[in-house]
Amino acid sequence: MDLEFSKKQLMVQKNIRNFARKVLGEWDHILDRESRPLPNDVVKLMGELNIWGIQAPVSMGGAGLDTVSYSIMIEEISRVCASTGLGVTVHNSVCLAPVLKFGTEYQIEKYGPCLTKGEKIGGFTITEPQAGSDASSIRTYAVKDGDNFIINGQKAFVTNGGTGEIFLVGAMVDDGSGKKQMAVFIMDKDMPGFETGKIEDLMGMRGNMVSELSFHDVKVPGKNLLGGTLKGFSMAMKTLDIGRIGIASQALGIGVAAYEAAAKYASERKQFNKPIGKFQAVSFKLADMKIELEAARLLIYKACFLKDSGRAFSVESAMCKAYAPAVAMRACKEALQIFGGYGYVKELPVERYFRDAKITEIYEGTSEVMKIIIGNSILSEFTDKY
Amino acid sequence: MNLQINIREKLMLNIIVCTKQVPKTGNVKVYKGTGTLNRKETENIINPDDLHALELALHLKEKYESHVTVLTMGPDNAEDILYEAYALGVDKCVLLSDEQFRGADTYATSLTLSRAIEKLGGYDIILTGMTAIDGNTSHVGYQISEFLNIPLITQINDIEIIEKHAIINRLYGHEYQKVEVDLPILLAADKETNHVRFSKFSDINNCFDKKIIKMNMEDLGGTEDDYGIKGSPSIVVKTESFTHKRQQEKIDGNLDEKVEQFIDILKKHNILKY
Repeated sequence: MDLEFSKKQLMVQKNIRNFARKVLGEWDHILDRESRPLPNDVVKLMGELNIWGIQAPVSMGGAGLDTVSYSIMIEEISRVCASTGLGVTVHNSVCLAPVLKFGTEYQIEKYGPCLTKGEKIGGFTITEPQAGSDASSIRTYAVKDGDNFIINGQKAFVTNGGTGEIFLVGAMVDDGSGKKQMAVFIMDKDMPGFETGKIEDLMGMRGNMVSELSFHDVKVPGKNLLGGTLKGFSMAMKTLDIGRIGIASQALGIGVAAYEAAAKYASERKQFNKPIGKFQAVSFKLADMKIELEAARLLIYKACFLKDSGRAFSVESAMCKAYAPAVAMRACKEALQIFGGYGYVKELPVERYFRDAKITEIYEGTSEVMKIIIGNSILSEFTDKY
Repeated sequence: MNLQINIREKLMLNIIVCTKQVPKTGNVKVYKGTGTLNRKETENIINPDDLHALELALHLKEKYESHVTVLTMGPDNAEDILYEAYALGVDKCVLLSDEQFRGADTYATSLTLSRAIEKLGGYDIILTGMTAIDGNTSHVGYQISEFLNIPLITQINDIEIIEKHAIINRLYGHEYQKVEVDLPILLAADKETNHVRFSKFSDINNCFDKKIIKMNMEDLGGTEDDYGIKGSPSIVVKTESFTHKRQQEKIDGNLDEKVEQFIDILKKHNILKY
């Protein structure tokens, strides 16, 4: 058993940490305060550095790195600018990854390279105004029309919605037998009738243009049906398994940022003639943060390791998605408490960490949904199969 | 021996960058008592100024057809910085490693690097960092230029190559100076020279598959007396760690007495003379 990063992973960490500090560190506060997306030149630079396609094959313009490297990248970006971490993880793991994993030759050739290079930013959407955790209740529907599908409906809370161009869209289709099932379509904003709705005014992650998307008689070529199959639900669920590792890594990054800020502050801030970190009430909080963040990290790497070695990882992915966001929330809450009044002002980033962390317990499956997945797997394991 | 001699192509710039692996000085661990560096516990990095030299080389490579070789002298683990150089996009990395090279001062280091540069074949531009953060001498660039008998130019703001000469815009303080010089030259870069790029992840992924060429004393020629501690005219007598602490003194008495005592203290420290 080896719990050490490889030299390559260490170099990934050093490089992305440097990039996040030097480049994103100029923007994190501005994006949050002004609720605006990253400037295009930064998005372009991230493309050149393979940030939008870290796991995509080198032949396609990606970096061909493993899932551990991917997790390291999301953590380090989110440590500085969580909303950029969000854009990157969604683009990589729930748009590009499923195109490469399930896509037809045509789909991989057409959408793989431009997504990998970040020339076009992507997203993934199932959620609708009235359909969240119950993904099967979506109302967006596709009707077959010759070689095309005509799609109508509305999507809500779409990450990268405002800035993205390529979206994987879940829609119900009648397979001819009268039975409806979910299929996933690759949709381009160029398609007539595909419109961006309102950009949400969010509590946190304000640098991501989360928006509504609407489809009015959008004609989607049949060859844009992901994987050429109407069985989209299982592809969507497998996609989310990958995405959850990214969200857990993002939560870890936010938690680490809060922990580090609190540890630094506790060693500098003096009350009653000593640094407040010398009081056990404060140092115990820091100790708890460190323990929990380390545990979350190991859980995430376990899921990465399983995925990289080609084994089932959906339960581990749900476990780290349930745990890391909870840890991040606790770390942010306690960091804010250690900062006292200074934690509550917008001049310092701690209150932002708190706002950013909350959503990680909600999107890509709430913590409760994660526990349903984990609970079901426990029950099936212990149910007498004979 | 795995020495590849370059056959110079027409109009192809041969650039050699000298780099050094240094302890990250912001966070060094020192043994209590002896004051020497605990190298096991201290992270090693590419000397920061050398990164600016590397960036300048890569910038030239983008502008002109060039071949960039990175050279370092050090123990086997100095390979780490060469892999980082590969991840930034250089063409070839050479490690000068030999027991006999140990303990070299700046003179012996410069001689070793100069000999290696000559062995590597032709060169048009040698690049070094201005200063290394561990020794802070800034000797090596100057000494290499003397050993190779080529001009050295510092404080580079911009550089243009026209055929076999360079037009260099130097910036110091608020003045510019334009220098026109025949190649080959040695340029010493520092943090004012440029902004260092970030590695591409794809280059990180393949950098460890690239080959590091190793050269030892035998490859460079000369005798044991030229290298390492034997070839070093300077001798380190003692290493001490210094701390500058603010001193505090309390003065008692009435106002006149306090002023009187204060003046005495200032005189004692040569701050007031009369």
